[in-house]
Amino acid sequence: MLLLTSAFASLPGRVVGQDQGDVRLRIALTDSAPNGARAPIIRSENMLGSTSRWLAALRSGLPVRLHYRVEVWRSRGAWFDTFERQVEWDVLVRHEPLLDQYTLLTLVGAARQERRYATLDALGAALAFAYQVNVRPAEAGRYYYAASLQVGTLSDSDLDELERFLAGDLDREEDEDGSLGDALGRGATRFLLRLAGLPSLRLEARSGHFTVH
Amino acid sequence: MRLMACCLMLTLVRPLLGQDSVIVIDPNARPIDSLVRGGPPAEVVTDLIAFYNDSATTRMQGDVTLPPGSRFEGKLALYRGSLRIAGRVAGGIAVANGTLYLLPGASVEGEILVVGGRLLRSEQVEHRGAERVYWDAAPVVRGSDGLLVLRERRRTLGEIATAKATFQTGRIRTTLSLATGGTYNRIEGLPIHFGPLFEFRPSDKSYARLDLRGILRTAGSSTDLRSDFGYVARADLRFTGSTEFGFGARLYSEVQSIEEQPLSLSESGWAAFLLQRDYRDYYEREGISGLAYFKPAAGLRVEFSLSRDAETSVRATDPWSLFRNSDRWRRNPLIDDGHYFTTGLLLEYDTRNDQDRPNTGWMIRSRLERSTSDDIAPVALPAVVRPNPPTGGGYATDRLLIDVRRYNRLTPALRVNARLLAEGWIGEDRLPVQQRVSLGGPDILPGFDFRAFNCAPEGFNDPAQPALCDRIIATQVEVRTRVGLNLGFRLPDQEGNRPGRFVGIEEADLVIFSNAGKGWLAGSGPGQVPVNRLPVLSEWSLDLGLGLDAGEIGAYLAKSASSGEAVKFTVRLQRRF
Repeated sequence: MLLLTSAFASLPGRVVGQDQGDVRLRIALTDSAPNGARAPIIRSENMLGSTSRWLAALRSGLPVRLHYRVEVWRSRGAWFDTFERQVEWDVLVRHEPLLDQYTLLTLVGAARQERRYATLDALGAALAFAYQVNVRPAEAGRYYYAASLQVGTLSDSDLDELERFLAGDLDREEDEDGSLGDALGRGATRFLLRLAGLPSLRLEARSGHFTVH
Repeated sequence: MRLMACCLMLTLVRPLLGQDSVIVIDPNARPIDSLVRGGPPAEVVTDLIAFYNDSATTRMQGDVTLPPGSRFEGKLALYRGSLRIAGRVAGGIAVANGTLYLLPGASVEGEILVVGGRLLRSEQVEHRGAERVYWDAAPVVRGSDGLLVLRERRRTLGEIATAKATFQTGRIRTTLSLATGGTYNRIEGLPIHFGPLFEFRPSDKSYARLDLRGILRTAGSSTDLRSDFGYVARADLRFTGSTEFGFGARLYSEVQSIEEQPLSLSESGWAAFLLQRDYRDYYEREGISGLAYFKPAAGLRVEFSLSRDAETSVRATDPWSLFRNSDRWRRNPLIDDGHYFTTGLLLEYDTRNDQDRPNTGWMIRSRLERSTSDDIAPVALPAVVRPNPPTGGGYATDRLLIDVRRYNRLTPALRVNARLLAEGWIGEDRLPVQQRVSLGGPDILPGFDFRAFNCAPEGFNDPAQPALCDRIIATQVEVRTRVGLNLGFRLPDQEGNRPGRFVGIEEADLVIFSNAGKGWLAGSGPGQVPVNRLPVLSEWSLDLGLGLDAGEIGAYLAKSASSGEAVKFTVRLQRRF
């Protein structure tokens, strides 16, 4: 555990296009297994930091969704890198004004965990948890991890749809056929919300290379 | 410090350094469909309530500070807020849904219990006694008598009210909805869909549903060519297991678009709503269809479908648009009316890692269709476009679509994507108007005008600009890399002491692309391509361009390389492909 938490200090992931002082996505590596394989540790920082724009969105009644994705890539020198596998998970945060509490729902596949926090301090600490993803490659080769974090606000209907999708009730194909709510496009609606100043952010980070023997 | 562990597929490793924690995600673990509600243990909440409600406890609320040098004897409890202690407390402390700060010089002799907040301890703090801290909110409320009581759990995140009303009767879940559907267009305006959806899940591996929707077309019809109302009734049965398979049936009366390009449905809707530019054409179809599908391997779907419908022309109306509302809409082309019996075979292979923003994988889609009709009423087209179809019965035509997309990461920072699209007639009688194709416009060949290649012969002037080609083929290649933009401005914060909300685009993909394509009539006439071959590359039209893709919006400049057309500027609301 000590090694895990100190990994961020010793092996900072390379951060692409991220403003200092704003939300950051960091990726680090665990210590090497005997064969050289290392697992990624992902952490978002400063979610409720200086600008507090996510906090403003939460307090405006908009749930905030954090969508994490970690991809395992095999480096092949001058030729195309090879995609090996990926893992995704979501964290949904919502403010309940009547209780002045924050609900944090973590979704990994069909498994969900709901927690509530009464103070911003506790919520910020919970959002700063690091995720160690056990996707160490087994085959010999040179690898790296690419992580992305998509942060955005959700309308209630988006949230409902997401819940239903995760429950397996909706086919993806239906959306392409023009299902309910598509008259002017969900993505375009989100874009207008963004133009209105509502926050949306996509961050990417990549780890250093490591070699599996 | 004690922190409750996550339990799903997640494992929360208990922290050793301050409040730092690591959640372990194991994607190889067996999937479990579960909902775990975290929270402090019941006995801890009981202890908290008992401590707070004890008549010997001094109760406070909000932000309270015990300054250096102060001394408090007895039990101290705080509900909501922050308790800052820099003095001496001889007794226990409980904080419910608040934060406890032990500031330099603080001394506490007694148990510390914090539920629903953190304990932030400075250096030079003295504490003798037990310490229990739970970050999860305490499910308690303060009653009118000032005492804490247990609060019943409120609705979960997934139970948030939406525009839809859902209720359960036995094992059947019913959803009543009233929402917009389809896309904004010059035929229907903004179609409103309404009706119930019944869902039945007899087991974990089977799912059935019946979706009944009425369609109200808000752009009233000025003619009797179509009704202001439509409907779609759809039944689906799905079985999941080692191999997923399913069946479906539809009964419909709906407006259908002719081509799937040059823009997606939502983008086409926005162009129509904002700019009175509808990039698609439409017809009405009324009939019944059925399908069966199975998924023999991950990402692979095989589907067989049958349909029998009446297809009729529809006329453009005059729905409202935000800009250029006084302009005239482009006419909607007439189609070859008639009853059609269509059989289709669809193959899909999708290994993309993300459907909206893929970085890797294949997306291959191929559809083979055979349509027959005994009462086709063809539109008069120039003989060079097609010979007159047989109208007394026996009309049959075959059509093929192949769409292959490959997404690659070349280096950690560079992605290269490519697409090949081929579509059109492959045999028997020539295609009806509603199945013909074209190229040019913001999607596949953005360096050229809308339908620059629609195969209309010289002298054929139809203001509807119908797609008349027998076949098209196109390739698209793009290179993407992520760049920081900070394109926008930051609003001043209301309190004026820190940066405010950023309005604009902070990061985007820089996209460099090239497209090439050709639309043609198959035959041996002048300007036509023989039926049994593809056009040589020198006959293809080529464009080059670059742009910025910020996810929800992208802006591109494209210039044709094979003709003298001006540079085209395109705004997209999704990825190019």
